[in-house]
Amino acid sequence: MLELLGSVIVLVGSVFLFSAGLGVLRMPDSYNRIQTGTKASTLGTILVLLGLAVLHPAWAWKLLMLIFFVLLTNPVSSHALARAAHAIRVGEADSTVIDRLEESETRERTEGRN
Amino acid sequence: MVKRLIILLTLVLLAVVFSDLLLNYIESPVLSPLGNYYAANGPAELGAANLVTSVIVTYRGLDTLGEVTVLFISAAAVGLLLGRREADTDVAEPRKPASEIVQTAAQLLMPLVFLFGIYVFINGHLTPGGGFQGGAIIASGVMLLLLAQPHAAISRSLIGITESLSGFSYVLVGVLGVILAGGFLDNRIMGLGQFGSLFSAGAIPIIYILIGLKVGAELGSVLDRFRSSGPGEP
Repeated sequence: MLELLGSVIVLVGSVFLFSAGLGVLRMPDSYNRIQTGTKASTLGTILVLLGLAVLHPAWAWKLLMLIFFVLLTNPVSSHALARAAHAIRVGEADSTVIDRLEESETRERTEGRN
Repeated sequence: MVKRLIILLTLVLLAVVFSDLLLNYIESPVLSPLGNYYAANGPAELGAANLVTSVIVTYRGLDTLGEVTVLFISAAAVGLLLGRREADTDVAEPRKPASEIVQTAAQLLMPLVFLFGIYVFINGHLTPGGGFQGGAIIASGVMLLLLAQPHAAISRSLIGITESLSGFSYVLVGVLGVILAGGFLDNRIMGLGQFGSLFSAGAIPIIYILIGLKVGAELGSVLDRFRSSGPGEP
């Protein structure tokens, strides 16, 4: 029973990982690719590790530590990547309508001038 | 068009080369005589639980010293090439500061990354990993620091001293092997200790700590060089 539960969790996790890969291929611009590549792969990795923890309860603490590090590092690195892409003016898809980072930077620049 | 054709041609040629390797590869069912010797006598002779480490650090220790030297020369060359350009772009343009998220995460993660790197090279004789891997992890911690604080002051003299001292001690341990044990880089200059415990395998942990410090300092200094000579804001 526990084995079945663990396997199902791992399977669900790998579905998310698959969708992350698909998103990287299919999304229109860098920012969207970063977004799918981060959100879906973070959840997918966490689910796979959780499933492994159910399958091997003896490893549970180590796997929880791994989940903690994935949660800490994956979003931060994607955030830094996206900001770097924005800083060197990597183009957005035409369908993008809101760019809050650009807005806030423009505001800072005009406020700095006044 | 021509470019695409060349790329396609290259890919096909690569596929031909690798398919030949793949199709005709027959895994040998028995170890080679040398591998067999290492596997049979390594643990008893050198006392390292990780057989790979005893091969890298002791049986093939001279090769490893060569690899460390290669890395040292590359780091020195990077310093030489990028150090000159620095004089031209002395007054770098101000860069955009890193975001608060990156700065906070770096504060939280940096000690953990360093700790993990040190763990990896101290346990090199027991678990997978070792001096080179631990050193690379430490350098990735330096990278994180540079990402979070592009203007962080990294003491070049400290890096230089760490690197020189660890390299010198590595060779010194090797020479001690000639005097006290069977040959250059022989790890049996001290007791082998309890098999599988932290203080075991003679000089292997000492050598791996030295390699880890050296590799970490070298890669860190390469990263630092790239930072200080970068063109700043695009």
